[in-house]
Amino acid sequence: MSSIKESEANYVNPRGIPQAPFVEKVEDYVQSRDQVESILKSFQDMLQKYKFMEMSTLRREAGLKEKIPDIQKTLDMVKFLDASCNTDGELESITTSYELNDTLYAKAKITPRDTVYLWLGANVMLEYTNEEAIDLLSSKLKSAKDSLESCKEDLEFLRENITTVEVNTARVYNWDVQKRKEDREAAELK
Amino acid sequence: MPASPQQRTTVDLKALSLQQLAEIKQQLDQEIEHLSESFQKLRQAQAKFEECIVTVKKTSDSANEGKDILVPLTSSLYIPGKTTEIDTFMVDVGTGYYVEKDSKSTILFFTNKVNTLKKNLIDLETVVQGKSQNLRAVEEILQEKMQANQANAPQ
Repeated sequence: MSSIKESEANYVNPRGIPQAPFVEKVEDYVQSRDQVESILKSFQDMLQKYKFMEMSTLRREAGLKEKIPDIQKTLDMVKFLDASCNTDGELESITTSYELNDTLYAKAKITPRDTVYLWLGANVMLEYTNEEAIDLLSSKLKSAKDSLESCKEDLEFLRENITTVEVNTARVYNWDVQKRKEDREAAELK
Repeated sequence: MPASPQQRTTVDLKALSLQQLAEIKQQLDQEIEHLSESFQKLRQAQAKFEECIVTVKKTSDSANEGKDILVPLTSSLYIPGKTTEIDTFMVDVGTGYYVEKDSKSTILFFTNKVNTLKKNLIDLETVVQGKSQNLRAVEEILQEKMQANQANAPQ
């Protein structure tokens, strides 16, 4: 392992994903043909782990992609309510349609007011003043966007490493095949 | 003697080789799975429409005009408001069209949808049953052949 740079072998990305070492010279990893199998197995294990992480990151990314437009819409709504609340001398009511069911909408009358109710999930709903709601939603939106960015980074990093491990496996395997040929030829010569 | 399946060309099942029988079995399995999935989805859609009908009936009940409700503006934002025009509903009739209807027509619309789905479900069920019958016949013959092979092999 002497030719592998120490920093490369221990590099860990911001989310704690270790970098896969690249096999420059197969002989550094494998001294004899017996070790080939255990090396190949450990590469396979690494590959499995990387692929598993890729799956979970993909799922996280998909969830975030869904949530972000929702949060954006809610934020815009609160801003709109806040604006119509502040500019009107007397608050005029708005008639709106709301979703009763998947394909069914009904009408309701609302008056802009200084508080809104936000559904936080897990059967929890809180009343917030318009400003608090705008702050909360903006920060939620920002953290969701940041998470999405880091998910994308992670995915790229993972894909790189998966390729590295696959290339490693191929190199070790080829080296093994070549060794086998050499051994066979040497045996025939005797 | 199991009769050959009617939907296909009348190939006698017994004349088919073991592999072909296995292939047919796989194909039938897949088809039945697909059809059962569609069956489930149609059932779910039907349940949703029936729910809509109940909701419409409750909301348009005249005692509910001007009642206080929490109006959902988005999936996580609610605002207190009052019900208004309780007899008017907007229905999504597909392809991005929404039609304003009164409660009677809305109930009628959904009832028609439920009935159409009911008919489709019945048809689908008959098809699934036919396929399972075929599958059973194929499995039987497959078993027979395997047993016959085993009987021949030791010789």
